[in-house]
Amino acid sequence: MSAATFAQITLDGLLLGGVYALSALGFTMIFGVMRVVNLAHGSFVVLSALLAAWTYERYHLSPLLVLPAAFALAYALGAAIHRFLLRRLPAEVASQEATSLTLTFGLSYFLAGAGLAVFGGTFRAVPYLTGAFNVGPFAIGQARLLAFGAAALLTGALALFLRATPAGRAIRATSQHAEGAQACGIDVDAVRTSAFALGSGIAAASGCLLSLIYTLNPEMGDVFTLNAFAVVAIGGLGSYAGALAGAAILGLAGSYVAYFANAQIAEAAPYVIFILVLLVLPAGLMGKRAA
Amino acid sequence: MSALLEVRGVSVSFGGVRALHDVSLEVFDGEVLSIVGPNGAGKTTLFNVISAVRRPSKGSVRFDGHELVGMPLHRVARLGIARTYQVVRPFHRLSVVDNVAVAALEHERTRAAARRVARTIVASVRLERFADAEASTLTLTQRKRLELARALALRPRLILLDEVMAGLTPTEMDEMAEFVLGLRARGIAAVAGIEHVMRLVMRVSDRVVVLDAGAKIAEGPPAAVMADPRVIDAYLGVPMSAV
Amino acid sequence: MSARLGLAVALFVCVVALLAAAGPFLGGYWLAVVYQTLLAIGLAYGWNVISGYAGYFSFGQITFFGIGAYTTALLTSHTSLDWRLAALAGGALAVAVAAPAGAIMLRLRGPFFSLGMLGLAQTLRVVAASSGITGGGTGLYLSATVTPLAVYEWTLAVAALAFAVTAAIDRSAFGLRLCALREDEQVAGTLGVAVTAAKVRAFLISAAIPGLLGGGYAMYLTLVDPPSAFSTRLELQAIVMTVFGGIGTLWGPLVGGVVMSQISEQLWARFPQAYLMIFGGLLVAFLIIVPRGVVPALASRLGGPRRTRVNGTPAAVAAGGEP
Repeated sequence: MSAATFAQITLDGLLLGGVYALSALGFTMIFGVMRVVNLAHGSFVVLSALLAAWTYERYHLSPLLVLPAAFALAYALGAAIHRFLLRRLPAEVASQEATSLTLTFGLSYFLAGAGLAVFGGTFRAVPYLTGAFNVGPFAIGQARLLAFGAAALLTGALALFLRATPAGRAIRATSQHAEGAQACGIDVDAVRTSAFALGSGIAAASGCLLSLIYTLNPEMGDVFTLNAFAVVAIGGLGSYAGALAGAAILGLAGSYVAYFANAQIAEAAPYVIFILVLLVLPAGLMGKRAA
Repeated sequence: MSALLEVRGVSVSFGGVRALHDVSLEVFDGEVLSIVGPNGAGKTTLFNVISAVRRPSKGSVRFDGHELVGMPLHRVARLGIARTYQVVRPFHRLSVVDNVAVAALEHERTRAAARRVARTIVASVRLERFADAEASTLTLTQRKRLELARALALRPRLILLDEVMAGLTPTEMDEMAEFVLGLRARGIAAVAGIEHVMRLVMRVSDRVVVLDAGAKIAEGPPAAVMADPRVIDAYLGVPMSAV
Repeated sequence: MSARLGLAVALFVCVVALLAAAGPFLGGYWLAVVYQTLLAIGLAYGWNVISGYAGYFSFGQITFFGIGAYTTALLTSHTSLDWRLAALAGGALAVAVAAPAGAIMLRLRGPFFSLGMLGLAQTLRVVAASSGITGGGTGLYLSATVTPLAVYEWTLAVAALAFAVTAAIDRSAFGLRLCALREDEQVAGTLGVAVTAAKVRAFLISAAIPGLLGGGYAMYLTLVDPPSAFSTRLELQAIVMTVFGGIGTLWGPLVGGVVMSQISEQLWARFPQAYLMIFGGLLVAFLIIVPRGVVPALASRLGGPRRTRVNGTPAAVAAGGEP
C-alpha cells in the first residue's frame, strides 16, 4: 500500500471521526449530567438519518436543511422522555442506574419498531454530493467533507454554548456536582431534562450528517450506541475533549478496517472494536476499589 | 506485646491532594484507640486504607502478621476486621435481619442459621421491632445501630468506627460511648474516628492519635494528648480545661 | 428437611411429572404453546440470576442461547452424536465461553456491563452471519430430525432445572450474598462476601440455562440462522417477562412467562414490526408502574416485609413504632 493510499484512508477516517465526535458528544452529555447510559442514543441517530433520507427521496432537500427540524423534534422527544418517563421512575427499584438503563433499552426497541413502521425495513442513504474534490493526490469526498464541516461547526457551537451561556454553565455545574449546583439555585431536575433533550438533539443532528455517509435501516440503532459508547470510553467518561480524541481513533479504525476487509467483516467491525475497547478497559468503566 | 494492627508510613495521594502523609500507628488487642482530627484531616482515608478499600501510595498495614495492602476485601473481613461507614450504607432493600445475616454468614454455614444468629444480634442493638422491615425504612440513628450490628456479626477482633458520633443526639452519644466501652469487655479492639466531641474521646479512649491535614501530630493517653500544645494550636483552639 | 419444604418439593415434582406425562396427549398446537411457554420461562429464569439476584443487568444473555443452538446444529449435522448430548455440549460450550467473558465483563460497572453484553451478543450474531462454518447469513439446516415431543421434554427438564436452581439460590447463603453484592458491592466485600467469585458463579448459571435451551430450539426449528439463534426478540421477551413478574424473585419469571408467553408468540407471528414497539413500550411501562414486579406487589399486599415507612407515619402508630 502506498503512502498516498494510506494518507487517503487516514483522511477518510478523520472526516468520519468528526461526525462520530458529534454523536458521542450527545451521548456523553447525558451521561455526564445524569449518569444515565442512554441506550436509545443510536435510535435517535438512525431515525433522524432515515428522516433525512426520506426527505431527500421525496423533496430532494439536503440533509443540512432537515437537520434543524430533526434537532428540534429530537429535542422535544428527549425532553418528554426525561420529564415523563425517566423522572417518573420510582427511586427504590434496583439501582437507579440499572432501571434508567433498562428503560432506555426498552425505548430503543420502541423507537426501532416505530422506525420500521414509518420507514419500512429498507436500507436508505442520501446519495447527495457523490463527487469529490481532488486536492493533490487525495480525493476528498464532498459528502464526507460537508458532514465533517457541519459536525465541526456544531461541535464548536456546543462548546460555546457550554462555556459562555448560563444554561450551558448550569449543565456543566450539574455534571460536576449536582448538590453543589442545587445549592447555587440551579434547578437540577430542569437541567437534567434539558441535557437529555440536548443530547438527543445532538444525536439527531449527527444522524442527519451520517446519512450522507452510511446506508442505514431502523434496526441499526445499536451500532451507533455502541459506537458512541466506544468513543466515550476511549476518551474518558464525561470528558468532551476526550470524546474528540476517541472519535478520531474510532473513525480511523473504521476506515482502516473497511479498506482491508470485505464487506461482511466491515459490518462486524464496530462491534469488534467495541469489544476491544472493553478489553483495554479504561479506568472509570470498572467498579472502583477506591472509595 | 506486639500490636494487633500496625500501620507504617502510609501515604495516600489522589488528584493532587495529599490525604495522608507518612502516618504510622499501632492498635493493641482489646484497646480503644481514638483518631481525632478536623474534617478533612484524613480519618476516613485512613480507615479506607486499613480496611483495604483504598490502596496507599506508600506504606504498609499489618494485621496479626498479615499484610493488608492489596488484599481482597472479603479476606480482610475474614481476618477479623469490621468497619462502619461515616455515611451509613445499609443494604436498602434487604430486611434488617438479612443485613446482619450477610455478615453472620462468615461464621454460620446456612442462611437459616445466619438469620437466627442475626436476629439475636438485632435484638442486642434494640432493633428487634424492625427486624423484618426493609433497611430503607429506618431512621438515621437506627441505621447506625444496624451498621454496628452488622459489624458485630462478623465477630471481629477489630472494629473501625468511622465518624461514629456524627448525627447523634447527646443521649445517643453517651449510649454509643457505652457501646464502645462494651467492646473492650468482649475483647474487641476498636479504632474510633471522632471529629469533635472531646469529652467522649476522653471517656472511651485508651489512647488517642491526632491527625491534622493528613499527618499525625500527636499520640498518647487522652489527657496528655489534649494538653499537647501542638494539638491545642492545630485543633482545639483552647486548652481542654477551658472547654 | 422441614415439612413445608418437603411439601413444596413434592408439589414441584408432581407438576413437572404431570407436564411430562401430558406431553404425548397434547396435540400439535397445544404442544407448541406449552413448549413456547416453557422456553420463555426458562430464558426468564436464566436472565433472572445474573440480573435480578446479582444486580448485573445483562442485555446479551442470548449470546449463550445462540452458542447452544449453533453447537447443537453443527454436532448433529456432522456427527452421529445423539441430539441431547449435542445440546449438553452446547450448554457446556456456553459455560466455557461465559467464564472468560464474565471475567472481563463483570469488572465493569453496571451500565457498562449491560452495554458490554449487548455488544457481545451483537458481535456473535454478526460473526455467525459472516462465517462459513455457521452457514453465514443463510444459516444451517439440520439434517437430524427429532419429534416436537422430544424437544418439549428436553425444554421441560431444563426449565424445571432452572426453577429448582433459582429456588435453591433464593433460600441459600449464596443467594443472600448475591443480594448483598447487588445492593452494595463494596460493603458486601467488607462483610466477608467473596464478591468476584459469587458474581462469576451467577453469570455461569445464567449462561448454562440459555445454553441448554438453545440446543432444543435448534432441533425445534430445524434451521439455525443468526437472527433466530441470537434472537433479540427472545432476549427482549425474557427481560420484559421478568420485569413484569418480579426481578430477583423466585416466582417472578414463572408468572411473567405464563402471562406473557402467548401474547409474545402471537404478536411476533402476526405483527413482527409492531412487536418491537409494543414490547419495548411494555418494558418502559412496567418499570414505571410495577417497578418491583407483580409478584412482590401482590406479596406486600398480602403481608410481607414491611416496606411502608414504619417511623413517624400512621403505619408506625398502628405498629407501635418508636421514633
